Amino acid sequence: MQLFRAFARASGAVAALLSGTALVQAADVSFLTHWAPDTVAKLEAAAAVYSASHPDTKITVRAVPFGDLLTTLRTSGGGADGATIAGIYDAWLPDLAKDQLVAPAPEATAADVTANWPAGVVSAASAKGTLYGIPNEIDVYALNYNKRLFAEAGIAEAPKTWDEFLAAAEKLTDKSKGQQGFGLINSWAAGVLHPFSSLLVSNGGDLVVDGKPTLDSQAAKETFELYEKLIASGYSDPSMATADANTTGPFLDNFVSGKTGMIIMANWWESALKAGMGDAFADIATAPIPVGPSGDTARSISYSWMTVVNAQASAEEQAAAWDFLVWLNGPESTPEGAPAGASAMGDILMSMGILPTRTSDVAAFSERLASDPFLKGYTETLAAAKPFPTVLGGQEFSESLQKTLEAMQFGQLNAADAQATAQADAIEILERNAQ
Amino acid sequence: MQLNQHRSALLMLAPATALLGVFIIVPMLLTIGLSFTKWSTQTGFETASFIGLQNFIDIFGNTSVGRDFKAALINTGLYTLGSVVLILPLSVLLGLLVHQTLAPGGVFLRTVLFSTYMVPMIAVALVFSKLYSPSEGPLNQILGWVGIPPQTWLSAPQTALFSIVILNVWQQVGYFTVLAVAGLTQIPASLYEAARIDGANAIQRFFSITLPLLGNTLLFSTVICIINAVQVFEPVALITQGGPVNATNVLTYHIRRVGIERAQGGTGSAMAVALMLALVIAIAAIFAFARSRERTE
Repeated sequence: MQLFRAFARASGAVAALLSGTALVQAADVSFLTHWAPDTVAKLEAAAAVYSASHPDTKITVRAVPFGDLLTTLRTSGGGADGATIAGIYDAWLPDLAKDQLVAPAPEATAADVTANWPAGVVSAASAKGTLYGIPNEIDVYALNYNKRLFAEAGIAEAPKTWDEFLAAAEKLTDKSKGQQGFGLINSWAAGVLHPFSSLLVSNGGDLVVDGKPTLDSQAAKETFELYEKLIASGYSDPSMATADANTTGPFLDNFVSGKTGMIIMANWWESALKAGMGDAFADIATAPIPVGPSGDTARSISYSWMTVVNAQASAEEQAAAWDFLVWLNGPESTPEGAPAGASAMGDILMSMGILPTRTSDVAAFSERLASDPFLKGYTETLAAAKPFPTVLGGQEFSESLQKTLEAMQFGQLNAADAQATAQADAIEILERNAQ
Repeated sequence: MQLNQHRSALLMLAPATALLGVFIIVPMLLTIGLSFTKWSTQTGFETASFIGLQNFIDIFGNTSVGRDFKAALINTGLYTLGSVVLILPLSVLLGLLVHQTLAPGGVFLRTVLFSTYMVPMIAVALVFSKLYSPSEGPLNQILGWVGIPPQTWLSAPQTALFSIVILNVWQQVGYFTVLAVAGLTQIPASLYEAARIDGANAIQRFFSITLPLLGNTLLFSTVICIINAVQVFEPVALITQGGPVNATNVLTYHIRRVGIERAQGGTGSAMAVALMLALVIAIAAIFAFARSRERTE
């Protein structure tokens, strides 16, 4: 009888242990990003903190160059063996959601995001009314200029209008020194499109309205003509404008080495400038995008990034991924040295000079944001920024407009032909992709 | 007895044939089939819907899809032509140089030449992207020393594709030189001796003996060089991303962009089929040309 009791107790203990094990299902979560190694190290540190309190979840981080991010997502990223979490650009979301590569956020997560992020950012992380990702960064564009070159050229302050902008570009151009007034970018879709789009919205125009391209507007005509003027006058040299797959290259080198007086770029490149310029970074200032003749106020386009979860991952992995993302983007993850209430994601973004989007992060980092002179030109623009259109076929539309703008940069198209080509191609691409 | 021989031959051929079928024939047939459909690469094959020749009409049409494809086809053709025209004569020239026994160092030179072929493309791409930098690149600095103005290299559509061709020539010429040397060693020395006795000079010996007897080697080199050139992808993906103004957008890179980034699997498959047909026609034309020359000789 005693033997029977001992056996029964042992059986009970084994059963309890087994059931406990069954409740704690181990999950391997992989996080795909395009961030640089030092930022990846911060993400890994945050993941280690999370894993300490969630030993059942193992998190690994994989980084690829920005130029390969979408391809990686489209190939390995979408399968069951692909990354569980991926950081994506909002323009890619409609196509990824259509192809069911990304999972809709669970109800509780969606409610948390809706309550803690601005409505515009939540909308950018949604497709057809369904939230697919947790928003993290927002990027806007500003005029970056070299104060030393401005002083040498006798320019007192940053241009506020296109006339002042052209006048400054003329004064800053000095071919004998290999110096250009305004730096264009080519060979990189966002690098070509976003500065152009920012000038367009600052001139009162839009790329797309209600899913229809509006590149045939007067505001767009004036923006194409501005580019033509910059190139024809020699204020911008397209051979100094090349970008590579890592979104670096001659366009960055020329600004860093003081051969480009002004350029329009997003806030995220602050870390690249600091790394490239060292002490000379103090020469760089930012200002809102100059206002065009048809515009009423300085505007920029904005775009956001979000973290999405692989729809092909197992239910356990998806659950673990959402749990980690909620923690990473919430105030419970405040890392050491960060202000109270800041999330680990907010801290990571701020380390790159990127503006966070969670309302509590914006509040937590408000002092730092206000005291950073580089970010001033961006934060001033944020309220009036217009989101870059997120439409089906967005990538094809971007690449098509990139090609047209580059053709104009290199004198293959004049402003009128470029405008007509851009509008005709955009109509065909958006209509075809909407089918 | 004969039946047994047939059986054993079939048995021995089966593994290789099965592998060929699974890994080459089936994907090729699948690609051809998908080229007649509208299909997103992110969904299963069952979602592909038959649309007849529409993809082929699109890629040869006048919309942005057609313009980009035709430009990529022309870029690939120019890249291939440039590579063949530069690599083959250079490989014969360098082959003669390393094959000769008048001066020492032939083996060393052969090793140096072949070593470029072994350098990983990622390293070559990184180095060449810096060499070609228009403002700070060493190439323009060297040109400046001899009074030549800075060149745009990868930074302008007029020069970008040719700059990628130079990179390819630099990397591949060593391999084709080794092939040329292998061909040169097959030419009997007695022929040169006889020609010398008959009073033929070096140039006459080259055009009357060396070049004709290198015919098969050059035919093989041409075919391999074309196939390699048509498959160019890494330098474009790593350095230029197809730009500027799509000047370096070659077909393999463009198919990846359409088929994977945009997930337009049907259109991408039609482009791949068109590329395959173009390659088959080019190779068949070269063999036909070689055969007709053999007949006339």
